[in-house]
Amino acid sequence: MPSLIDLRRRIRSVKNTQQITKAMKMVSAAKLRRAQDRALAARPYATILQQMLANVAEAASQSDAGEHPLLAVRPENRVLYVTVAADSGLAGGFNTNILKMAQRAADEKRGAGIQIEAIGKKARDYFRRRGYTLRASHVDLYRNLKYEDAEKIAETVIDLFSKGEIDAVYLFGNEFKSVMASRLTGKRLLPIEVPKSSHPVDYIYEQKPEELLGSLLPKYVKLQIYSALLESNAAEHAARMTAMDAATKNASDMIDRLTLYMNRVRQASITREIIEIVSGAAALD
Amino acid sequence: MASTFEIQIATPEKLVAQEQAESAQIPGKDGYMGVLPDHAALLSELGEGELSFSFGGQTKSYKITGGYVEIRDNHVRVLADRAE
Repeated sequence: MPSLIDLRRRIRSVKNTQQITKAMKMVSAAKLRRAQDRALAARPYATILQQMLANVAEAASQSDAGEHPLLAVRPENRVLYVTVAADSGLAGGFNTNILKMAQRAADEKRGAGIQIEAIGKKARDYFRRRGYTLRASHVDLYRNLKYEDAEKIAETVIDLFSKGEIDAVYLFGNEFKSVMASRLTGKRLLPIEVPKSSHPVDYIYEQKPEELLGSLLPKYVKLQIYSALLESNAAEHAARMTAMDAATKNASDMIDRLTLYMNRVRQASITREIIEIVSGAAALD
Repeated sequence: MASTFEIQIATPEKLVAQEQAESAQIPGKDGYMGVLPDHAALLSELGEGELSFSFGGQTKSYKITGGYVEIRDNHVRVLADRAE
């Protein structure tokens, strides 16, 4: 039976842990609000760009200028997986889920040339440890997330694709749904799958549609990476908040259990002492 | 005949403006364009310059660098790389 002092010490240690998890939860909640605002603020641009691209692509496909290089589907011999995870852990299954999903997708193409573009420390470490070829890794982006960061990543990826060094690019990341749930997404980034236009509009084109398409397509790739970063960032804080909330609750339960146990042990030792005294007194009679 | 149209200015980072306007001056790639209500559907690339729109005698203007503009159904949607 553990001694009273041991139990008290354990309770104190659990209480300390609880304080940490509680603080982390508060911090994540504050960061989540900011990340969420930013993710929402970026949506109007994304929606408009998508509609525009759909319309322009349709108009451009009617001309006979040929297919744009960023739309060219080639046999997927060399594939790049852009994987967006977090820089830090302690966020429940947030990192593991997305990394496993990306790894599964990459393993299906085993034998072909697979490369990983890791975003976030966790993604970098995960794939490095498992011996995958990292093309590049980007860490510490989230603290001060800028559109330019996404732009840079997109530009190198587009460059590799146009030069034919890579045949396809896939993007994996968490999408922010709600505080309780995020969604894992994996989609093809290059060659671009042009969104379908629901209401084709007959525009007056100031520039030729093909020309417009040529400049819209790279922008679309940049935007997809940027919104993946924003969504992942929001989802990360949401996941951490939920995980830390659960941890705080577990700590409370544990403290309750330990306190109960401690009281029982104390009661037992008091009872034992009384018995000793009583039986000692009885022996004297 | 509508007497106003809606103008939206968005950058990748945020929605800069969403307002009603009676007229607008937009820096297209090949020169400035004037926009009035019931403009025909149009798509163009943007150049660099000052985008301004007015409503009720008040004029607002933003410095725009690159991007696109879409005009359709009395909605002017400006996608700018940067807008200040």
